[in-house]
Amino acid sequence: MIEHSADCQVAIVGAGPAGLAAACVLADKGVDVVVLDEQAIPGGQVFRAVEKVSTARSEDMGILGTGFSAGLQLVERFRASGAVYRPGVAVWEITSAHEPELSIGLAEKGVAQMLYPRHIILATGAMERPTPFPGWTLPGVMTVGAAQTLLKSSGLVPDSSVVLAGTGPLLYLYASQLLRAGVTPQAILDTRPPVSWHTHALALGALTACPGAMIQGLRWMHEIKKHTAVIANITSLKAYGKDQLRSVSYQATGQVCDLTAEVLLVHDGVIPNTWLSMSAGIEHHFDPVQQCWVPDVRGVGMTSRDSISIVGDTAGIAGAEVALLQGERVAREVLGQLDSPQPAKLLSTKEPLALRRRRRLRYFLDRYFPPTTQFQLPPDDNTIVCRCEEVTAGEIRQVAARGCMGPNQGKAFTRCGMGPCMGRKCAATVSQLMAEVRGMPVAEIGHYRIRPPIRPITVGQLADMPIRRESNDLAEAGASIYDTLAPGKNSTS
Amino acid sequence: MPTSVSDRNGSMFQRRHSINQPVCFWFEDHEVVANQGDSIAAALLAAGLTQFRRSPVSGSPRAPYCMIGNCYECLVEIEGQGSVQACLVEAVEGMRVRVVSGSKSEARSTDN
Repeated sequence: MIEHSADCQVAIVGAGPAGLAAACVLADKGVDVVVLDEQAIPGGQVFRAVEKVSTARSEDMGILGTGFSAGLQLVERFRASGAVYRPGVAVWEITSAHEPELSIGLAEKGVAQMLYPRHIILATGAMERPTPFPGWTLPGVMTVGAAQTLLKSSGLVPDSSVVLAGTGPLLYLYASQLLRAGVTPQAILDTRPPVSWHTHALALGALTACPGAMIQGLRWMHEIKKHTAVIANITSLKAYGKDQLRSVSYQATGQVCDLTAEVLLVHDGVIPNTWLSMSAGIEHHFDPVQQCWVPDVRGVGMTSRDSISIVGDTAGIAGAEVALLQGERVAREVLGQLDSPQPAKLLSTKEPLALRRRRRLRYFLDRYFPPTTQFQLPPDDNTIVCRCEEVTAGEIRQVAARGCMGPNQGKAFTRCGMGPCMGRKCAATVSQLMAEVRGMPVAEIGHYRIRPPIRPITVGQLADMPIRRESNDLAEAGASIYDTLAPGKNSTS
Repeated sequence: MPTSVSDRNGSMFQRRHSINQPVCFWFEDHEVVANQGDSIAAALLAAGLTQFRRSPVSGSPRAPYCMIGNCYECLVEIEGQGSVQACLVEAVEGMRVRVVSGSKSEARSTDN
């Protein structure tokens, strides 16, 4: 493994469009910037494996489309930028604001290390909104995003018996990619509720702002409806099977139907991945339109912690194009801060035209594809909400009805959110359910308190971490405690 | 307990391209051929594995769900290290991958 310095000027977490764009700008200006990436190659989820696809599986570029191939230029620019790229790195902590020094805890190939940047840019992207329904833990039930990741990273596709369910742009994008790959899905079970004339009118605004994206979307919808059965107004979804998925049952306009399937791919939009930002103590709020928790961001990417910026979908779902544009803007803002670290100033609040156009598209998409009610508030009490601890919607409703104050107290009663995924796949649902039962807004019910380490790390890895001897008394005290309690490799072997 | 790596017939996902840079690793006693750059999870799905582990709570079967490191459903044991996310680790020649036991009744120490 390459020996990496423990210091840098700027550390960026995440190598998707936002992180890469920010890194390019900073590196161009000669800033010592390090990009920490959980994946092995740059691109994030949206441009996942784009270099590999372009060289080893070039015919897949056409299948994945222009929204994907656009990432190649960015990744190539990043590779040439001079920014330090650290792939395969798990970030498990950003030290709290009370610590004397800003630092990031990371682990690479089983070795833990602290990194001490002057500034951190979080670009941890999005994750799919949880979609609990009866049977969703069965092997064979996956997210649409998971299947798309398999297509991008390894060229894998399901066969034509595959069923897609849910709603959101990604579902239709993936369906169109499958068609181009020669796989015609058996059915698409669309859970999107009928939208008002007002929402349809918003489409005109989006069409004027971003005609390219809108026409492309309409073309996908047209192609999909021509080749595969799109069943609208799905009000109930169930998956059956013993050891793996065998059939899918759905209800549409009062009728119950069954489909034989081994793969069911579900999607209900994406939400910001805020596990790192929340664990870093940054202020967040609940966005009532996107129905998710987002960091409080002011100006260009600035947060409640002066030395941490947030950009891309982590700052609120806006898509890859916005992430790229914002990544560059945040980098310029950070450059200004590095020059004069005094009170974070609001440099350029007015967004450029390209960004404002994208915002209008998003305004429409947010309203055209609202989150699915039956996934947010599973009507069947037997539906598992917490996949890890197998806590059901009924149990959550029960503890909330008995006076449980919120998701954190709920852990004590049910263990909900205490499994290996640390609440990533149940937090959104638990807050919604408790808010429903207690008749309170989700914003007041709150979210799980997210604490480091947000990625699994062993005590051994922590104990083997090098300690900075030259730093202040606090660290010295910490070091001596480590030495006494957990002698490192040198003293034991 | 684990479903073995079957032949391609029952596979949930198929490769669009033949393997051009083979990397062989071990899943339990089965040799699995991955393509260079495949994650362990992708390689096992392509090889026909449908069930990766059983939930420690009820013993219900589980398999990869999100593929981007959030759901922790794809946990396996890699080179003796328990509870590793198979979707975040690239296949390496000769790698030893095993099913995690992890049920409450058969809890064992993960020594490191």
